[in-house]
Amino acid sequence: MSLLEVTDLAVAAGSLQLVDGVTLDVRPGEVVALVGESGSGKSLTALSVIGLLADSLRITRGSIRFDGVPVHGAGGQDMADLRGNGLAMIFQEPVSSLNPLMPIGAQVAESLIVHGRASAADAAQQAVRMLGRVGIPDPERRAHQLPAELSGGMCQRVMIAAALISRPRLLIADEPTTALDVTIQAQILDLIRDLAEEEGTAVLMITHDMGIVAEMADRVCVMYGGRVVEQGDVHDIFRQPRHPYTAMLLRTIPRLDHPPKQELFAIPGNVPSPRNWPQGCRFKTRCDRATAQCDATPALSEGAHRVACFHPLSEGMT
Amino acid sequence: MSVAATRLPARILPWWPAILLGAMVLVAIFAPLLAPMDPDRQNLLARLKVPGFESRGATNWLGTDELGRDILSRLIHGARVSISVAVLSVLLSGVVGITVGMLAGYLRGWTETVLMRLVDIFLSIPAILLAIITVAVLGPGFFNVILVLALTRWPRYARVAYGQTLSVARQPFVTLARSMGCSVPRALLRHILPNIIGPILVVATLEFGLMVLFEAGLSFLGLGVQPPTASWGAMLSTGRNYVATAWWIATFPGLALFMLVLSANLIGDRLSDIIGKGR
Repeated sequence: MSLLEVTDLAVAAGSLQLVDGVTLDVRPGEVVALVGESGSGKSLTALSVIGLLADSLRITRGSIRFDGVPVHGAGGQDMADLRGNGLAMIFQEPVSSLNPLMPIGAQVAESLIVHGRASAADAAQQAVRMLGRVGIPDPERRAHQLPAELSGGMCQRVMIAAALISRPRLLIADEPTTALDVTIQAQILDLIRDLAEEEGTAVLMITHDMGIVAEMADRVCVMYGGRVVEQGDVHDIFRQPRHPYTAMLLRTIPRLDHPPKQELFAIPGNVPSPRNWPQGCRFKTRCDRATAQCDATPALSEGAHRVACFHPLSEGMT
Repeated sequence: MSVAATRLPARILPWWPAILLGAMVLVAIFAPLLAPMDPDRQNLLARLKVPGFESRGATNWLGTDELGRDILSRLIHGARVSISVAVLSVLLSGVVGITVGMLAGYLRGWTETVLMRLVDIFLSIPAILLAIITVAVLGPGFFNVILVLALTRWPRYARVAYGQTLSVARQPFVTLARSMGCSVPRALLRHILPNIIGPILVVATLEFGLMVLFEAGLSFLGLGVQPPTASWGAMLSTGRNYVATAWWIATFPGLALFMLVLSANLIGDRLSDIIGKGR
């Protein structure tokens, strides 16, 4: 059974549709990557799951189930119980995501204290142990320091510690390494993967970096224009992408064997803004396979490797 | 506590206004021990005597007033009224204003509209007029003065707290706190309040000086603390009638007010400089 099941989720700001029919699932213990360009609705999907959409945004359609229980619309209390308990999230900017005036130890202990799962002294001890596990040197002393005294990479480790101390069953990681430099990125990704594996935590990893996807994910869910366009096993997607958008995304990854001084591949055109999303398939304006049929909205196919396209690439075409 | 708060006294406070204010607070606290005479004890045979006058074997260092009471003793006891009214009204208006401002800034929507329009309405009424009307309705007295001052001054804090909350609530760390299961009140108190308290402290310090003046103003008009309790404003008011013949009655409470308000304002200015630099 799926741990997280999102069905036909739609999010709107007023009359402006930003997420329009997202369907995805995460099974216990697996890593699912949610991939897409900026503005494709991946972060909004994550915030909907944890119930922290900005006030101006509303879920207009669809359902979200956590462990078989509907969470959206189940009432604020249930959601608050899940947050920092079964469900945890880490964010993009490690430094500004920590309270600048609170010692990091206290911030790591926060979810235990909020949910009454440990006394203050016990929570503080557990926080120090957790800081050690995420690779903070001298955690005993560091626990009393403020975020400003730590580097960005260290702050991201603190955030991971704060998320995992509650032993969540699902960790949502919203571009956890975007703000970090490349050497630190690999360390942080390894840390997330190792800890998630040890604890059996499922991870929903939001990213726009196909390299991270290849390294981390068991399954991939590709979003474009507020919709899921392709979904499947990471090997299938990389070996044989079926949606033209996924195929182009994969071609944008720079490779070491790329001939020097030859231009890198870029997907033609720009991501259309939600204000002027085209009718039907949203990728048709940038797609070389588009036909008149694409003026209708393609549905996501069934099966393990799902695609929403009228003219999917078939085997041997890439 | 935060680094900023623990290093506060050494880094921030200009030394002489701080010493002056501290001394005045100590005088207010230990007034009964420090005052050479009973501040309410009348001596009609020693009315309007010049500073240094001796009566009943004691010296009236700052002279006596129209009822022969010792000005120095009344000044010392008056510090209690001035400072306690100012402190309590700053606290009360601060708590009310910060609560309103933070709720409006965090919850947004109709709560924001209702609360902030209320703030606008209060700010559009001349403060002293509102104070006079309210005292006229409630009647004068120590606690009513505090209530009136808080009623007229809370919108200042609400404005500042609102603006600060608006910007801080959008910071990712508030979302992170909420994602860890923090309730809205906990997020407001533990995560947002410490991050917005600096500018509010500046307002509170400057308001303290203003509250001293307001209290004196109300007492001057006869709407404040009632006789025979000593109050600097009331002493100024009676001193006005004798200013040509007995200058000391109005001069000394005026000087005391001046120094108290000046030191509070200088501390407030310095605080705001430091906090401004910290940004």
